[in-house]
Amino acid sequence: MKLFALAACLLAMSQFVGCYSTAGTSAVLNHNTGESVLFEGNTTLRNRIAVTAVTYDKVASGMNRVNFQLASQVQKEIHLQYRIAWFNSEGMEIDGDSRTYRPLIVQGLDSVTVTGVANSPNAVTSRIRIREWDSSH
Amino acid sequence: MKTSVTCFLCLTSLVILTGCGGPRVYESELDRRPITSRLEAQDIRRTVEKMAESLIADDAVVAATAGQKPVLDIEPMKNRTAMSVDMKSITDSVRTRLIRSRLFRFVDRSTTGADIAIMDEQAQLGLTDPKKAIRPGQQLAAQMYLTGTLTDITTRLGRTVDHYYKFTMILKDLRSGEIIWTDEQEIRKFARREKLDR
Repeated sequence: MKLFALAACLLAMSQFVGCYSTAGTSAVLNHNTGESVLFEGNTTLRNRIAVTAVTYDKVASGMNRVNFQLASQVQKEIHLQYRIAWFNSEGMEIDGDSRTYRPLIVQGLDSVTVTGVANSPNAVTSRIRIREWDSSH
Repeated sequence: MKTSVTCFLCLTSLVILTGCGGPRVYESELDRRPITSRLEAQDIRRTVEKMAESLIADDAVVAATAGQKPVLDIEPMKNRTAMSVDMKSITDSVRTRLIRSRLFRFVDRSTTGADIAIMDEQAQLGLTDPKKAIRPGQQLAAQMYLTGTLTDITTRLGRTVDHYYKFTMILKDLRSGEIIWTDEQEIRKFARREKLDR
C-alpha cells in the first residue's frame, strides 16, 4: 500500500515537473557597436555547448546578418534547437511570432556555425537562444 | 493516522491523474517537438523562414533588381508527394515575410476576379464618385514570380518509417526566363512503431 502511494505521488509530481528544462544559453549582439553578451541559464547545457564566436555583416539588400559559432563540449551527439531573434533600437523584438526554433544536431566535439538575416531594416540587435531538445532519438 | 495520510495521498494523485473528466485541450508552442514523422507545422514554419532569409540575403536578387523594389507574383508550389499539403499556404507565408521586409512588392493574380468585380461596381452602380473610381488597366505588372516544388522519399523497414522531404523554391525572371534565385530545405524524420496509413 505504501509503495503504491509513493508511486502515485511520484507520478503526480512528474506531471508538474516536466521532462527537461527549457532554460538555455543566449548570446546578444549589438550590430551598431559590435558588443556581444552571453547568458547561460542552464549549467547542464553550458557544459555541453559553447558560443565560441560571433561575427556580423550586412547583406547586399542592407539587412543585418549574424553568424554564431557553436562548439560541442561533449563527445556524444547533442540535439539542440536555436532561435535567432531581432530587436529594434528600442529593444523591442521585431516580428517575434514569425521567428522559429530550428533543430540543430551537433556531433561530438564538433563546431557549427548558424546564420540569421534580419527580417527588417530596423533590426539593430540580434539574439540567439539555444535550448536542449529531446535526445531520445 | 498513517492509513488516512496514505488514503489522502492516493485520492490526491487520483484527482490529478484523472482530471475533471472533460476533454483535455492545451495551448501549444508553435515549435513543439515532432509527434509524427510526417510534415508538421514547425517544419513548414522553418522552411518559410529559411526561404525568406535566403532570398533577402541573396546578392544576385539584389543585383537583378538594381536597387529597386521588384514586383513579384507567386505561383503556388507543386506538391509531388502523395500527402495532402496546402502548397499555396506555404508560398503565401513566404510572400508575407518578404512584404514585411519592405524589399519586394507583390501583385496577386488569384484575386484579379475580385478586382474586376469591384471596379465594375464602382463604374456601374453609381455609388462611387466617377472621378475617384478606379479604372482597369493601371495595375503593376509582375516582373518575377516565386514558385517551387515539394518532393519526398519514404522508406519503411520493419516498424521504422523514414521520411525525407525536400522543398525547392525558385525566383524566375518573367522577361528573360532566367532563374534568379533558388534554394532548398531538406527535412529528414524517422519514427519507430508509426502507422503509415497513406
